[in-house]
Amino acid sequence: MTVDNLRDFGANVDEGIRRCVNNETFYLTMVQKALNDKSFDQLNEAVDSKDIDRAFEVAHALKGVLGNLALTPMFETVSEMVELLRSKTDTDYSIYTEKINAQKKQLEEYL
Amino acid sequence: MNDFRYSYGLKRHILIIDDEEINREILGNMLKNDYEISFADNGAMAYEMLKDHSLKISLILLDLLMPVMDGFEFLEKIKDDESLNAVPVIVMTSEKPAEVRSIKLGADDFIAKPYDSPEVILARCERIIQLYEDKSIITSTEKDHLTGLYTLEFFNEYIRQIDSLDIGKSYDALVLNIEHFHMVNEMFGRKAGDDVLKMLSDLLSDTFKDSFSIGCRPAADYFYFYLDHNDGYDKIVNSVQERLAGFSHIPKIHLRAGVYFDADKSLTPDCRFDHAKFACDRIRGDYSSQVSVYSKESYDADLYHEHLINDIDDAIANKDLTVFYQPKYFIQSDKPVLKSAEALIRWKHPEFGMISPGEFIPLFESNGLIQKLDHYVWEETAKQIKTWKERFGYSVPVSVNVSRIDIYDPELESRLTGLLKEYDLKPSELMLEITESAYSDDAKGLTDVVERLRKIGFKIEMDDFGSGYSSLNMITTLPIDALKMDMKFIRNMNRDEKSLKLVELVLEIAGFLEVPTIAEGVEDADQIEALKKMGCDIVQGYYFSKPVPPNDFEEFIKKELNKH
Repeated sequence: MTVDNLRDFGANVDEGIRRCVNNETFYLTMVQKALNDKSFDQLNEAVDSKDIDRAFEVAHALKGVLGNLALTPMFETVSEMVELLRSKTDTDYSIYTEKINAQKKQLEEYL
Repeated sequence: MNDFRYSYGLKRHILIIDDEEINREILGNMLKNDYEISFADNGAMAYEMLKDHSLKISLILLDLLMPVMDGFEFLEKIKDDESLNAVPVIVMTSEKPAEVRSIKLGADDFIAKPYDSPEVILARCERIIQLYEDKSIITSTEKDHLTGLYTLEFFNEYIRQIDSLDIGKSYDALVLNIEHFHMVNEMFGRKAGDDVLKMLSDLLSDTFKDSFSIGCRPAADYFYFYLDHNDGYDKIVNSVQERLAGFSHIPKIHLRAGVYFDADKSLTPDCRFDHAKFACDRIRGDYSSQVSVYSKESYDADLYHEHLINDIDDAIANKDLTVFYQPKYFIQSDKPVLKSAEALIRWKHPEFGMISPGEFIPLFESNGLIQKLDHYVWEETAKQIKTWKERFGYSVPVSVNVSRIDIYDPELESRLTGLLKEYDLKPSELMLEITESAYSDDAKGLTDVVERLRKIGFKIEMDDFGSGYSSLNMITTLPIDALKMDMKFIRNMNRDEKSLKLVELVLEIAGFLEVPTIAEGVEDADQIEALKKMGCDIVQGYYFSKPVPPNDFEEFIKKELNKH
């Protein structure tokens, strides 16, 4: 995985690297670590079981991590989902998880 | 402080509490060069770490939504814990409602998510830590830990602030001290001593609570209060002492106080309290008085004494201190005969002019410096006797004072015999005067010394006889060679029957002891006539001469020589 890959993905790489005190390697390590985060699975589980509270909790946590890594497309998807979950909007959240899963898959292909 | 830490490689410690490992690591990476970092997954884990106290945490970075114990619960838990709530907390959130709730729970600042640039985060951490450290330095130096009163520096500063708001009110400076406080510590232990100080401080603060007052404990068992003018300090101090005795199991705590009424605001606060402390210390050890009031007169007198004490060495070196001689005449012959003299010290101070021995002798007696003075007089006198002997071939024995402190000096005999040897004198030529009250202090110890001196051949005159408290029984056993009558009796003998009777009595006692009597302070012919009739042998006083410098004294010698 390279920063160019991430840039292609749509990540705000400059912002992410700056947040990592300009340490590119550290940034890339953190991104790879994020892809292994169990939160993705937990989010899918919560949405599948329609556990809105749990889904909010996990999505909220994921939003924080993705935001810090400046993985913008994914961050935006999760953020949107968090707001809906916060207001307990009755909607089909699997649309969001599918989108997130696809974005995650795209990133994993760079590995 | 920062420089100090950096130069010793000491870093402050930040605790990051977040359940997301990636967030923790990104934040830790931002801070690791400037701080030691510890991590906790949730509030409960962090709480355990803090309770352990082995980590000195300077700052907590807290996430809000976490499993097990979230950020709010954590804040709640440390809020009322005095050992933990002194650590600043920065909450990491981007949600406004959460910010309000966090502030209410004691959070100090916020970091938004996603995080700002590392520079911003570092600056925020640094600022909050600095703020807390400054605050704790101020609170730790402003108040005395034990009593909660101000420390001296802050106390003085607050007085200066009161001065600057001057509304024409008058304030007193009050200083309190516990008499022999070190004994409380020694007998009952330091803890009990501290308890007494704390209790006293609480009682004083309570006593003055209805009027303006600020208090300070500048050191040990001293207490300073700057307060509204008040006339009833005797009552106040007494009542505080009684209440203190009621609370404390330590018996007999005696307080003493010094007060400087309507303290002069043109003086520095330090100076105002120096005055009050001076008053307080004047009655040290005096259990009959409790409150002493500062007066300029007594303060000046004390300063003057200090001056004299400091000047004594210079005075000896520069010969500002000189020895004068007053003749003693034998009067039981047709015409009075010069018998001997008394050496008397005189001080011509370069700044104060002639100083009366009545001013400096009691002072030097009280602090032991009299010994220095005595040694000087002995030497000068011995030298003078030798000079006269050589010049006139005539020996005038001279008596010198031997102070109480000299008597207990193991070197006394060797010093005196050394002088005899150096100036080639017989012991009978250097006579010694010892005041009667020295005899009554420690008759046995003194008698031993006097016996040894007499064995060498010294003549001992008991000075001021009748002013002390010798028992008749003691007098019979005293080893003396002459009695010098206290001059008060002589002064009043022609005016008052009682004094006359006393003179007769002393002469009788001298007769019984078979020693000559010397009358001091004789001023006129009537007195001489009466004393002669009553059998007094020797007379000293203005009738013959005041004490004079050696040159003037030589006239008396010459006169005596011309008779022959």
